[in-house]
Formats: sequence, structure tokens, C-alpha cells
Amino acid sequence: MIELSHLTKVYGDTAVVNDVNMEIEAGTITVIVGTSGSGKSTLLRMVNRLVEPTEGRVFLEGNDVSTMPPHELRRSIGYAIQNHGLFPHWTVARNIATVPMLLGWDRRKVDARVEELMELFQLDHAQFANRYPHELSGGQQQRVGVARAMAAKPALLLMDEPFGALDPIIRSKAQTDLKAIQRRTGTTILLVTHDMAEAVHLGDRIAVMDGGLLKQYAPAADILARPADAFVDDLIGSADRPFRYLTLGRVRAAVEPGVAEGAPLAADASLYEGLGELLWSGRDAAPVIDDAGAPLGRVSLVGIAERAARPK
Amino acid sequence: MTTLANAETSRAATSRIDRFGVVIAAFLIGALALPFATLRATRIASGTGLRLFDALPATTMVAVLAVLAATIGAALASRRPAVRLALGALALAALALAAGAAGAHLMPDDNPYARVAPASGFWVALFGAAMLVTDASVRLKLGPAGRIVALVITATLIVGLFASGAWSHLSIVAEYRNRADVFWRETINHIILAAGSLAAAIAVGLPLGILAYEIKAVRDPLINVLNVVQTIPSMALFGILIAPLGWIAMNVPGAHALGIRGIGMAPAFLALFLYSLLPMVANTVVGLNGVSRAVVDAARGMGLTGRQRLFQVEMPLALPVLLTGIRIALVQNIGLATVAALIGGGGFGVFLFQGLGQTATDLILLGALPPVALAFAAAVVLDAIIEISGRGKA
Repeated sequence: MIELSHLTKVYGDTAVVNDVNMEIEAGTITVIVGTSGSGKSTLLRMVNRLVEPTEGRVFLEGNDVSTMPPHELRRSIGYAIQNHGLFPHWTVARNIATVPMLLGWDRRKVDARVEELMELFQLDHAQFANRYPHELSGGQQQRVGVARAMAAKPALLLMDEPFGALDPIIRSKAQTDLKAIQRRTGTTILLVTHDMAEAVHLGDRIAVMDGGLLKQYAPAADILARPADAFVDDLIGSADRPFRYLTLGRVRAAVEPGVAEGAPLAADASLYEGLGELLWSGRDAAPVIDDAGAPLGRVSLVGIAERAARPK
Repeated sequence: MTTLANAETSRAATSRIDRFGVVIAAFLIGALALPFATLRATRIASGTGLRLFDALPATTMVAVLAVLAATIGAALASRRPAVRLALGALALAALALAAGAAGAHLMPDDNPYARVAPASGFWVALFGAAMLVTDASVRLKLGPAGRIVALVITATLIVGLFASGAWSHLSIVAEYRNRADVFWRETINHIILAAGSLAAAIAVGLPLGILAYEIKAVRDPLINVLNVVQTIPSMALFGILIAPLGWIAMNVPGAHALGIRGIGMAPAFLALFLYSLLPMVANTVVGLNGVSRAVVDAARGMGLTGRQRLFQVEMPLALPVLLTGIRIALVQNIGLATVAALIGGGGFGVFLFQGLGQTATDLILLGALPPVALAFAAAVVLDAIIEISGRGKA
């Protein structure tokens, strides 16, 4: 759906993005992760031409973006950034309506869309529509920022450290919500972060960048299991690796026959959550139930530990 | 226990005396020692100063003293801004009426050329009361609308005092009466000079400021040139402009018909325009630069065109700073326009410089007080607008 071909950006003598090739599948979340100065934001900003590449091309659905007028291209792509960038002199509703208004939607359609999005992002329309951004909490501002980016139903959404300014609890909820919303809408998301945990949590595929180079581009599990080089290995963190790996698996996958004592675990919980629960409650095993509450069997410490080991 | 209680009461007693009130009391009491009014045989003769006790009929004097005493009391002891404001305003009104009453009381029946003018005691007391009013208004934290209402009330009272004839025996009013037609003509000239040159500076300075914001290479040279202009003394700038404008009037067809001359309104207008450019351009650049990077980035990323970004996002957010530039330029222009009279540009300066030439103090005041009042009113109104424009943009 998106193809980056030999994408390069040179500032002075430095190639901040150096010959990057990537193909991004429609309807997935791809996370670009790297340290600051790795070129990840520049890469993202070349997709909607906020930065013009020195060399290489970006294709959207097969169309070279350099042939489209920049403002029209950007209106067709969602864009959300750290510190949200909400327009302080516009109400929440007017902010969300930015792109639909630019596209000349009629008033009623815009209003309906704003209401729909505010509901999707759990912002009470009656309460917040006419508030100004500074009257909102950080988490609410961030949600308005993402709602604004999705207002004109873009097929592609670019997010540059969208949760960077949030505290850990709100950030975790925002990530979960984003993933759920993405699964519902099928929007393709390209997200930039420096946080490997966020990348593993959100990304269907992860692209690791360092010094302008694309070091590894693979599904999250592959990145954890087979880091391409020492840099990727470092970014994951050797102590955290088994636990990161467990966040990818579901308890359902580790169910074995048998019974166990104590509070049951949900089959859809991550193995990481399951391990935490077992360790904290001092049990070797716990019963597992499905959504309907029907028993599926049990999950054991040994069973989880096997799945935390490096894949052969 | 008792010592503690005593300490508490004595501290309460000392803290009850307002320190700023002591200063105001000093002004009001000191004023009584100075002459309240001056009586002169003719408008340019040197006069004799008369203190409050000699300048007013007994009953009026007692009333004024009572008001001043109450004001001093409020300044020293009252913590409530509303009370301080009310008594300060009452003192101002009493002083204004007393000045008029002194005029009526002192003016001899047999000498129509004699003049009575408020003297140092009046001005010192007026200053003291005005400080109290200003301080109380600040403490009251009046909103923008409240400040404009206060300004309108003050202006109405002053106009009312004029119209009622309460001041008709004062020499400044006598000077005004002798030149009423010219006074209003020059008032209009002054406003045209100050506001017209500002309008021209907005029309030119805003686009220049936007240009300097968009193109970094333009910014420093432009601001530097305007800074240099700002440092040229007004008299020198008028002088510098005489030659080129005179040449244009002589050689460019139609220029003379448009009113362009080496002296007169044209060079004054041009000079004020040049002086106003710096605050306009500088504040436009500062205001636009002050718009958050994230907001500008979001606007670009959303697909606003350059023009949409400028008019829908950057300019509205820079508005309070732009208005501050307009306020600086306008207040500065109202003051500087007074000097325009020296090169025949008209305005209140006409009276001021005539007065200086004739050593007629009252004529000087006729030229000096209106621009001060005008600048003050402009500042109050624009400050209120700036505050309103900045709301909701935290």
C-alpha cells in the first residue's frame, strides 16, 4: 500500500535518512523505532512531504506522492504529533473538523462526523465540543489530536510520537484504545516512537532505524527473537527481552489440560499478564476461562516459561 | 498570654497603616503648603500665588479640606480598594470644582484681562489623588469592559465640567475661548497625523512583518534599518525629509496638488509613519514567531495552504502581540505629532509652541494637556482590546 523506495534525505554532509526501502501493508500498524537523531521522524515526514526527499520516492497505492500538490496530499493523510498541536483559538469541535472543512464537506456532514469521532474517542460531545484545548487534560488533548487526524477518514495515519507527552498510565490506555480503534476502522498507521515497549505493544511490524539506516524491518516477534545486529539487541534490552516476548503471546496459546486452584485468568490476557498474576499470587498454575466464563483448562509457570525462551 | 495578645494588637495596628497611603497623604498635605491658584494682571504677567485658604470662599474651602481629609484617612487606613477608589475620585472631582471656584472667586470685576490659573498646590494634590485612583483601580482588578466604562465616565465628567461653565473663569479655558475654531481644527489635524500615519504604518508594516517572518534573510536588515530610523530625533527627521519632499513637490506632476510639500503636514505624516513602522514590523515578527512550533507543524501536516495557515492560524494567534504594536505606535504618535507644528504640520503643538513663544503658560497647557489625555485614552482602550483578544489562548 505504501512503498518507500531508496528514500534519502541529506542535510549538509549528513544523510539523516539513508537509502531506506520499505513496503507497508494496508490495514496494519507499522512502528518506526529508533533513538533521537536516527532519522525516524524525517522518514515519516517524507511520506506527507513535510520534508522533501533528496533522493528516492514514496508511493501511495502506486501513486508517486511527489506528483500530487502537497496540501491535497496532506489532506488525504492523517497527521498526529507529540504535544498534539491543537489550534488553541479553536474549539474542540472546530479542531476536529479542520480537514473536513478544508475539503469542503457540508456543515451537517461535518457535525455528524465530529460527533461520531468524539464518541469513538470517549469525549462527551455535549461537555467538550465547545471547550477550548487549554481547558482539557493532557490525555483529552491527545485524543482530540488523534480524532482530528482521523476526521476525514484517511486510509493512512501518520503519528509522530503521539503519546510522548502523556504520563505512563494514560499512555498505556491511549495505546490500547488506538489499537482497538485501528482494528475497527482498518486504518493503516505509520507511527514513530523511541520506546521499544510501545513498538512491541502496537506494531504489527517494527522498523528499527539507526543513523539514518533501516536496520531491521520485521514482525515484532522476529525482532525480539532474531535481532539483526547489536544495536537492535541493545534497543530491546537483554533483561527485558523474554518479558517483551511474552507480551506478544496470549494465555490461550499456553493452555494445557487440567485444573488449578484460585482466581481464573482470561484466555485473551497476554502471557506477560498471566506470568505476573502467577508470580504475585504464589501459584504454579491457574485456571483459564474464555470470554463466556467457560473453563478451558489451566496455564502453568512452566508452560509460560517455555514460551519466554528464545525460539529455536 | 497577655504579652502575646498585646504583640498581636500592636502588629495589627502598624499593619493597618497603608505604606502607599503615607506617600499619598504626604502629597495631599504638602499641597496645602503650596499656592493653589495664581492670579495675574494679564495673561503674560507674572502672578501672585494664593494658597487654598486664600483662593477659595470659606465654605468651599472647608468642603474641599473635608474631602481631602477623608481621602487621606481612606488612603492611610482603608484596605478596601472600592473605598479608596471612591474617595480618590471624590478628591479629584473636588479639586476640579475648587479650581473652577477659585477662578470665579479671584477674578476681579474691573479687569477683564486678569487671569486665574491653577498653581503648583493644585497639581501636586491632583497628582496625589490620581495616584490613589490608579492604585485602587489596579487593586480592584477591573476587567477590560470595566476600565472602558471608567474611562467613559471620566471623559463625560470632564466634558460636563467644561460645558457647565464651572471652569469658565480659568485662564486655560479663556485661552481656549479665544481660539475655539482653531482648536478644533488642530484637534482634527492632530488626529489625522497620529491615526492616519498609524493606519499607513499598519498597511505597510503588517505585510513587511509577514515578509520578514517568512524570509529569514529579510528580517535582520529590515529591523536594523527601522531601528536606525527610530533613533533619529524627530526634529532631525523632519529636517531630513524637507529636501526630498520639496524636490518631489517641485518635480513630480500632481504631487503638489496632493498636498505634498517640503514643510507642512506631508513631512510630519511621513516621519510619524516611519517611526510607527518599527513597532508594527517588530511586533508582527515577534507575534508570528511566538506561535507554537507544534501548532504550525500540525497546520502544515493537516494540509492548510500557506495562506490558510497565515490567516486562519498564525495571524489570529499573533493578534495580541500585533495589537500591542499598534498600541505602542499610536501612543507614541499622539505624543510625537505635537512636534509636527514646528514645521507647519499643525496639531496641538501649534498652541504649545505659540505659548512657549509668548511665555503664556496657559496656552502651553492648552497644547500639552489634550495630547496627554488622548494618549492616555488610547492606551486604556487598546489595552482593553488586547486583553479581550488574548482570551482563550492559553
